[in-house]
Amino acid sequence: MNTIQLSDSELVSLYIAGNENAFELLVKRHKNKVFTTILLIVKDTYTAEDLLQDTFIKAIHTMKSGRYNEEGKFSSWICRIAHNLAIDFFRKEKRNPTIEMEDGSNVFNTLAFAEESIESLQIKEDTHKRLRELIQQLPEAQKEVLIMRHYADMSFQEIAETTGVSINTALGRMRYALINLRKKMTNPSIDYDKNLYSQ
Amino acid sequence: MIKTSTHNDLIQYIYDELALGEKQLFEQTLAQNHELAEHCAELLILQEKLNTELKVPSEKTINSILTYSKNLSLQQ
Repeated sequence: MNTIQLSDSELVSLYIAGNENAFELLVKRHKNKVFTTILLIVKDTYTAEDLLQDTFIKAIHTMKSGRYNEEGKFSSWICRIAHNLAIDFFRKEKRNPTIEMEDGSNVFNTLAFAEESIESLQIKEDTHKRLRELIQQLPEAQKEVLIMRHYADMSFQEIAETTGVSINTALGRMRYALINLRKKMTNPSIDYDKNLYSQ
Repeated sequence: MIKTSTHNDLIQYIYDELALGEKQLFEQTLAQNHELAEHCAELLILQEKLNTELKVPSEKTINSILTYSKNLSLQQ
């Protein structure tokens, strides 16, 4: 059977039935999105690596014990576990960890970059770093919706329920998050309005 | 001037959350409203930039997760 073409739902079923290769594929499919979700919240690579392990370990136990709910997408489910663990960690710490990004060596792990020059890799990494910094500058409510929707793959309805706001408010926050990011990217000199739709 | 409800539809459209009928209606609106279409294009470009921004965890972490799962299976 060619597991590479199977859906997440089919892979979960295979894994529950004992197929470890199915789980490996699930991990490889979703690891970057889950890791980015965590990293944007905790802002520390080492902590994010630890929480990534905790996330998948929690998922393993849920699936293996037959408590996995088939409703909804696997990607939303795993990212929600990651998001909750990252938020819990952040609350426990009660501190703002310093942004500590690695030197870019990890980008060599991605096939897409394998044949690029060192210079273009550096430019790419600089751009990504700047984008991460701009995301961090968004008002908390906007940043939260952006991470939940774009990286954690939650629907706007799920975000509204999780954050206790109406779906229109969640949509509005997302819209302003994107507009503010775009403004910042095109006009770095513009003073950022921290009060803009932050409530 | 674009209505707030239309902006909300736009956000749901770029994140593929509109029902099929709503999606078709919105695409008709896009075809007639250049300002909205331009805004939509800008947001799609930004969305793409955000997609390329994913970070990669270490191989060591991934291997630890896979080993944990295999060991648990052996115990069961």
